[in-house]
Amino acid sequence: MAHEGHNALHDLLTVRGVTRRDFLKYCGSIAAALGMSETMAPQIAAALEGAPKLMPTLWLNGGSCTGCTESIAQVDSPDVATIVLDYLSTNYFETIMAAAGEQAEKQIEETIAEGGYIVIYEGSVMTGQDGNTLLVAGKKGTEILSEAARGAAAVIAVGSCAVDGGWVYGYPNPAEATGVQAWLNHEGITTPVVNLPTCPVNPEWIVAMVVQLLLVADRDVAAFVEKTEWVTRSYTDRKYGAVDLLMPKGIFGQSIHDNCPRRGHFENGEFVTEFGSKEEAMGYCLYKVGCKGPQTFTNCPVVRWNRRTSWCVEAGSPCIGCGGLNWVDNNSPFFHRLADMQMGDALGNVQPGSVGAVVGGVAAAALVAHGLGMKAAGRVGDGPPMEEMKKYDRKRLAKKGGDK
Amino acid sequence: MGSHAHYREAHPLVFVITHYINLICMIMLAFSGFYIHFPFFSAGFMGVARGMHFVAMYVILITLVFRIIAAFFVKTATQLGSREVDTDIKNWLPQAENKHQLFETVKYYLFFRKEGVISGKYGSLQKIAYLATIPLTFIQAYTGFAIYAPFMNAGIFASGIDMVGGPMNMRIIHYFGMWVFILFTMVHAYLANIYNFAPSKIIFLWKETLPEGKH
Ligand code: HEM
Ligand code: SF4
Ligand code: SF4
Repeated sequence: MAHEGHNALHDLLTVRGVTRRDFLKYCGSIAAALGMSETMAPQIAAALEGAPKLMPTLWLNGGSCTGCTESIAQVDSPDVATIVLDYLSTNYFETIMAAAGEQAEKQIEETIAEGGYIVIYEGSVMTGQDGNTLLVAGKKGTEILSEAARGAAAVIAVGSCAVDGGWVYGYPNPAEATGVQAWLNHEGITTPVVNLPTCPVNPEWIVAMVVQLLLVADRDVAAFVEKTEWVTRSYTDRKYGAVDLLMPKGIFGQSIHDNCPRRGHFENGEFVTEFGSKEEAMGYCLYKVGCKGPQTFTNCPVVRWNRRTSWCVEAGSPCIGCGGLNWVDNNSPFFHRLADMQMGDALGNVQPGSVGAVVGGVAAAALVAHGLGMKAAGRVGDGPPMEEMKKYDRKRLAKKGGDK
Repeated sequence: MGSHAHYREAHPLVFVITHYINLICMIMLAFSGFYIHFPFFSAGFMGVARGMHFVAMYVILITLVFRIIAAFFVKTATQLGSREVDTDIKNWLPQAENKHQLFETVKYYLFFRKEGVISGKYGSLQKIAYLATIPLTFIQAYTGFAIYAPFMNAGIFASGIDMVGGPMNMRIIHYFGMWVFILFTMVHAYLANIYNFAPSKIIFLWKETLPEGKH
């Protein structure tokens, strides 16, 4: 992915057979991701084309399945996202760079030495066994991240794993995985971190951030942070405590449920109860089969996936909430309405509905038993004989009497 | 405890009405809540269920605020079998008669003592339960608004969502809140009517039950 001769973007696009019209359409969808009007597409196109060269970039992999890389690199036909990302001058990209061995690792050192770069981090930060759970070229993954992030203009944490540890963080988390922001807090590194959750990351969101950096902030990272609208989501990491995460509001500010094309079916009470049923074929709402859309805040329904082809619910699957925080623990089982409550080894995972029913049933049984007791004690009807005086007063009087 | 008279002074008409509103709202909230939690029949009901929930939630909150304010103006009986009245708030909060009686009341209900315990307008446990419904309703409203799209991004709700570990957990807390109200209602209805149905007659029909012998 390293750059040979920095062609202007439109040359690149032409070479890959992307028409001007496709490109503008693409920029329109980026505008949507940024919460701008689609009429901004030409300006976005101009900004991308006018940029001589983007910032040097290090794409680092932590404890990842490489799914996020797959998500952006699935080029069986020319895709604008890939080309734009190609256009970031990526100096290091483990999975797809040409360089290998020492030469590749040297790229990191050189980029850091030159400065003015951004880090894109994919995967969780594996802190277990003093960081030895992840070694790259004999070096701890945690050290590589710290060194690169310290001098970076910004870090973009792509995918849920980089955001808060993702599914790797799911209980019991033997690798002690955590997110980039939690790790940088722990290391005292204050480089701004942009968080782009979902599993994997949607390439459009990275591109949207790149466009924002170019168009709105003119490659000035401080201005970029200042001028972008953010939502701050906070969570408590089991190992590192409270963490505040910066996420672009245009992408993560609204629930999926509020933009879902099946919302009409939801309001009408038209639900899929079983997969493979007539209701499923009719495209009814997936709420009852566990859709986490009401609790998940991404604009998947607007931007969609796989080059704006479709997205989970449109493809017939309930949203499993991959854009949320601690998303596996908070959303599993995926086909149940509510998450299980983790009640330790003795009780295992229990559905809230079962807890409610058991508590209600026990209470009802207890009341019946108590009622029988009241009857047996002869209290029903006129009630018990009443005390003449409070026991407390009786005791006090007796004591006084004894004192005399 | 069982055989005393039930006069209208204990529950003036205005509180008979607020009690009805609370009951109806609670039934609507629990029914629609169950439906929102898991739509157990189809037939175009989700929009109705949510509408029902949203109307009832505002009504119950307004009624609660009204009920609290009214407590400072309306006079109610100081004892259940009596026509002697005083400002309601004094009879609603613990009275002198309730002092030192909490433990004895628990003992009474667990059959560790035979005689009924002296109490104010209500018993000690009863007062704790009635007063607890106030913060519980506000907590239920808070968790409810926190999962309601128009409010969930507002500062105090957003920070609460973060605190409990996300909107899913907030939903689960709201769901358990419902069970707290269901348990309260079960115990409340049971204890109110365990001796006889005179309490229901006065609170629902506003019909007095006179002391033994008088008719
Ligand atoms: C007092 C103020 C209340 C407010 C503001 C409120 C608000 C809400 C909202 C916004 C929802 C979600 C609706 C949706 O997303 O479509 C909801 C769900 C629910 N509410 Fe309430 N509610 C209140 C009181 C109650 C009470 C008193 C009960 C029970 C007696 C209750 C039981 C439920 C249940 C069981 C759900 C479904 C939760 C789930 O499983 O997703 N709510 N409420
Ligand atoms: S499919 Fe999911 S997101 Fe869409 S309306 Fe139904 S519950 Fe909401
Ligand atoms: S719709 Fe839900 S599960 Fe699908 S990508 Fe978006 S957040 Fe993840």
